[in-house]
Amino acid sequence: MNIRESELPGIGYKFEIITRNKDKLVIVIHDDGRREIYHFDAEDYDEVVSSVTLSDQEARQIAGIIGGMAYKPKALETIEFAFDDLIIEWFQVEPNAPAVNQKIGELDIRNRFGVTVIAIKKKHSQKSHNPGPNTLIEAGDTLIMSGERQQIKEIISHLLSNKE
Amino acid sequence: MNHLVFEVGTALVLVAIGSIIANKLNFSIIPFLIVIGMLVGPHAPTIGIIDLTFIQSNEIIQFLGRIGVLFLLFYLGLEFSVGKLIKSGKNIVVGGSIYVTMNFVLGLVYGKAVGMPWMETLLIAGLLSVSSSAIVAKVLVDLRRTANPETELILGMILFDDIFLALFLTTMSGVLLAGSTSFFGISLSVLTSVAYMLLFFVIARKGAPLLNKWLNIKSDEIFIIVIFAILFFVAGFSETLHVAEAIGALLLGLVFSETEHRDRIEHLVVPFRDFFGAIFFFSFGLTIEPSTLIHAFWLSLGAVIVTLLANMVAGMIAGRKAGLSYKASTNIGLTITARGEFSIIVANLGITAGLNPILTPFTALYVLMLAILGPLFAKESKTIYKLLNKVFKWDKKLAKEKEKQKERVEVAEK
Repeated sequence: MNIRESELPGIGYKFEIITRNKDKLVIVIHDDGRREIYHFDAEDYDEVVSSVTLSDQEARQIAGIIGGMAYKPKALETIEFAFDDLIIEWFQVEPNAPAVNQKIGELDIRNRFGVTVIAIKKKHSQKSHNPGPNTLIEAGDTLIMSGERQQIKEIISHLLSNKE
Repeated sequence: MNHLVFEVGTALVLVAIGSIIANKLNFSIIPFLIVIGMLVGPHAPTIGIIDLTFIQSNEIIQFLGRIGVLFLLFYLGLEFSVGKLIKSGKNIVVGGSIYVTMNFVLGLVYGKAVGMPWMETLLIAGLLSVSSSAIVAKVLVDLRRTANPETELILGMILFDDIFLALFLTTMSGVLLAGSTSFFGISLSVLTSVAYMLLFFVIARKGAPLLNKWLNIKSDEIFIIVIFAILFFVAGFSETLHVAEAIGALLLGLVFSETEHRDRIEHLVVPFRDFFGAIFFFSFGLTIEPSTLIHAFWLSLGAVIVTLLANMVAGMIAGRKAGLSYKASTNIGLTITARGEFSIIVANLGITAGLNPILTPFTALYVLMLAILGPLFAKESKTIYKLLNKVFKWDKKLAKEKEKQKERVEVAEK
C-alpha cells in the first residue's frame, strides 16, 4: 500500500492512498475536525466516484470499526493494543500446547513470565471470564494477556503454542 | 452624533443580511458585501431615523474597515511561511512563478494599452495578479475538490501568489506613499521599504526564542491585549516611515508565525479578521458611486478577459509541468481565477496615495465579475474541459502519450 501525505494550507491535511488492488482512496482531514473520504475511479485517477463526509466523532468510531476494535475478524489469531511498552494481546491456545489442561495458578504465569491473564474467552461458551488461579486453560480458548512485548512473546512460544 | 451607534448597528445589520444571503446561495460573501455597500452608499434614501447614507458614521465605518485590512494581512502573514513553501517543492515554485509573471506582465501590457500612466499601470498589474485565497479555498471545499490531484498545486500557487503580494505591496507602498517623483526619491523610499521588510525577517529569524518567552502569557485576556497592542502599534508606526500600515501588520504576522504561539494567535485572530474584514468589504462598497461604474465597465471587462486568458494558459502550463493530466490542469486555471480581498487591498493603496479615482469602480467591477465567474467556472470545469478538448484535441494527445509510454515499457521489457 502506497500512502502519500501532503499539507493543504488553509484547509487541512491530505492522505492519498493507492491500495494493493490499485484502488485510489483520499482522506482529507479538515482543520475544523471534519473528515472526508474520497474514492476515485480505478480507470481514471482524476475522477471521484464517491465520497463520504464524517464528523470528528464519527470518524473515530469508524476508525475503531475498521481497525477491528469493535469486532475481531475470526481469521486473525492475534490483536495488539499498545500503551507505550505495555501491550494487550489476544492469543488462541493451540491444541497440544504445554499449557493445555493446566490451571493458571499451577503454571505460575505471572511470576514466571511477568504476564497477566486479564480475561479468557472459553472456546465452548463464547463468554469471557475473569480468570483466577483455578481457571483451567483448554485448547481453543483465547487468552487476553497484558505484559511487555518480549514477555508475551515468550509465554506464547513456551506455553501456548504447539511446538511440534 | 446621537445616532452613531444606531447607524453603525444598521450598517452591521446590512452586512449580516448580505452574509446570510450569500451563504444561502452558497457564495463568497465578498461580492455581496461590496454590492450592498454600493447600493446604500451616499445616494441611499433616509427612512425616518434610519439614515442609510451613513454620512455621520462614515468615518467610523471606514476606520473599522481599515482595522479589517490590518487583520486580513496580519492573518496572511501568520499563515505564510517560507518553510512551507520550500517544503512544497519545485512544482509549486515553477507553477507559481509562471502564474505570477504571466499575470503581471499581461497586466502591465493591458494598463499601458488602455493609456494609463506608469503608477496606475503598475497597480493594475499588481491587482490583476493576486487571486483570492479566501474564495479559492472556499470553492475547493464546497465543490469537494480537496482530494483532487491538482489541489496541492493550486494551494501552493496561491501561497506563492501571497508572497508576491507581500513583496509587491511593500515596494509599491514605498513608491506611492512617500510621494516623491524623482527617480532618486523613489529608489530611496523603495529601499526604505525593503530594508524595513528585511528588518522584520531578521527579527523573525533571530528573535523567535525571545518572543516565545515574552509571549508566554497564561491569561487569554492579557495575551489578546498584548497581541493587539503590538499589532496596532507596529502598523501605525509603519505609516510614519511611509510604509503602508497594512504592510506593518503583514510583516508582524510573519514574525509571529515563527514563534511557538502561532496557532494560539491564529485562533484568536480569525473571528476578528472575519468580522472587521466584512466591514472592510462593505466600506469599500460605500466609497463607490454607482454612476461611476459605467465609465469603468469596459476597462474592467477587458481586464477580466485578460485575467481569464492568463489564468487558463498559466494553469495549463503549471499543471502539465507538474505531470498532471489536461483535465486537472484545466481545473487549475479555472479555479484560481477568482479575485477578491487582496485585489481590493492593492487598489486601496493606490487610492490612499491619490492615484486616478477610476481605480475604485474599476477594481470593484473587476472583483465582482471574477468573484462570481471564478467559482462558476470552477463548478463547470467539466463542461469547459469538454469544449476546450474539441478545439485542442487533448484526448488524442493523451492517447498518443499513453501509447508511447507503452512502447517504452515494451522496449524496456525486451
